[in-house]
Amino acid sequence: MSRYAMVIDLQRCVGCSSCSISCRNENNVSEGIYWSHKITETSGTFPNVRFHYIPTLCNHCEDAPCVRGCPTRAMHKLDNGITMHDPKKCIGCRYCMINCPYGVIYFNWSDPHEFWRDKRTLMKGGSSSPAEENRKVGGKVIPYYNPERAETLSGIRAKGIVEKCTFCDHRVKNGKLPRCVEACPADARIFGDLDDPKSQVNKLIGKFRPFRLKESLGTKPGVFYIRDFSSASYPRTKGGI
Amino acid sequence: MKLQIWIGLLGLGILLGLMTVYRVYTVGFVVYAKTDVLVWTLPLATYIFFSLTSAGLAFVSSIPIIFGVKRYEAIEKRAIFLELAVLIGSFVCLVLHLGSPLHVIYLLLSPNPASPLWWLATLYTIYLVIIVSAFWRIHTARSSKILGVLIFLIAIATSTTLGWLMGMTDARPTLNASFFTMYFPLTAFISGLAAMLLFSLVTAYFSNREITQEKNTLYNELARILGIAAGLVLILFLWRSIIGGISSTAEGYLAFKNIIGSIPYNIELWLGLFIPSLLMLVPSIRVTVWGKVTAGALLLIGMFAGRLEFVLSGVVRPLGQMAEGRPEFISYMPTISEILVVAFSLSIMLLIYTLGERFLKLEELPE
Repeated sequence: MSRYAMVIDLQRCVGCSSCSISCRNENNVSEGIYWSHKITETSGTFPNVRFHYIPTLCNHCEDAPCVRGCPTRAMHKLDNGITMHDPKKCIGCRYCMINCPYGVIYFNWSDPHEFWRDKRTLMKGGSSSPAEENRKVGGKVIPYYNPERAETLSGIRAKGIVEKCTFCDHRVKNGKLPRCVEACPADARIFGDLDDPKSQVNKLIGKFRPFRLKESLGTKPGVFYIRDFSSASYPRTKGGI
Repeated sequence: MKLQIWIGLLGLGILLGLMTVYRVYTVGFVVYAKTDVLVWTLPLATYIFFSLTSAGLAFVSSIPIIFGVKRYEAIEKRAIFLELAVLIGSFVCLVLHLGSPLHVIYLLLSPNPASPLWWLATLYTIYLVIIVSAFWRIHTARSSKILGVLIFLIAIATSTTLGWLMGMTDARPTLNASFFTMYFPLTAFISGLAAMLLFSLVTAYFSNREITQEKNTLYNELARILGIAAGLVLILFLWRSIIGGISSTAEGYLAFKNIIGSIPYNIELWLGLFIPSLLMLVPSIRVTVWGKVTAGALLLIGMFAGRLEFVLSGVVRPLGQMAEGRPEFISYMPTISEILVVAFSLSIMLLIYTLGERFLKLEELPE
């Protein structure tokens, strides 16, 4: 059986957000919800400052606290290591959000894609409403609706339940890479099977010194980060007093 | 006339609550002070307050059966009924906290015994059945030792499981402590004592009922236990603040340090613990009705604020990618809808109690 994982090469990542945009389109993600996101950090004191950018997504932890705490097994592990969510079992208690150390689970506080449900027009008789535009192109709530998402999960998740990244399980099932991996113009995201010693992810994990987010918590995340981007150099020095 | 005004007020609370229910399920949970960070707020804190108070009342109602102190049978029936009313109030808050309450059927169809939430749901269902059965037996002038013991055991189980619920969240160091499994049953006990004193004395006053000498002695005894227990909780509370907040350098406790200066924290400390224990440890105040009523009311207000403080201390600091573009701490102010959820559950609880007082002879003793 496979055990899927992702390596993110921070030296290759340019912070273009292609991953986040393609994820949104692939999974019909509503505004305000981020299956794919980032952590930005600034280090140093002016004028010696640096900007760090860490792309984030669900870590598909091996020992996932969200799965352990879910009372109805709505949040569960698939045999291939993916942490999956079943909307029909979700009671909306948000305990998974409390338990997730990475802040990658979101709750639908209201009906998703509210913008595209709006029936109001800017000018009566002069412009069409978002809902009308959507109807014209035959979209399901949103004009860019991707029906493939509905193969394994609700195409659009309802109000009152949580949602998060699924490593594009519907694509992986059909032998395709997750959409964010495919869309990355710098090939900074590498996806593969940890149980296959010859996989690219295993080669990279073995070649570099990877780190995972909040490793001390023991959740064993399935997202590994390697290298770091820095174009800076400095003259060789021993410092001084 | 007084009763009609009272029922009218409760009816208004329920009406406003029903309007809130409609808004929550049509407009969505945006009517709460929602952010992706503050995922647990006032409705859940109120649920914890009510459910722990109910467990505390269970401890009080179990005194004659578990500890064999027969004179406490005089308050057993009222305690059990109050326990039931408070428990129903907690269910109202819980349902209005859940995003999809109709999916709770999956607690049965797809159970996860590794989850404290699953255990809480299971235990509370059993608890409800047992309380109703125990009350029915007392009401029909029969006492049941087995039911009394079960109530006591389940009250321990529910209050400590709530501690497990908070204690297992490694992601949130402020909540992650075995401290809760001890703090929750203890504070449940003082909440139960306070509720018992408050409701018994206020009911006696409004129904113009004379408090007998035996009852008076019993209430004084409860007040003394309340003073001692609240004092012990105060010590525990102060140590939690010292160990977890003031003397801790761990990053995880920053959220708790932030909460220490907050209004709920100070209400819990001063109004909820310090003043009631002081009032109840001074004999001349303890024997007065106003002293007991004041201490009971303040303690319950303090515990209510305390439950909110506990919940908020775990969520005010955004984690991981949720922190992106947000301040280090998120401030919280309840919305009108959240306040109406509290009013709704409180009105239902008080209405049940009022009807019970009127029609179910809560003063009666079991045989």
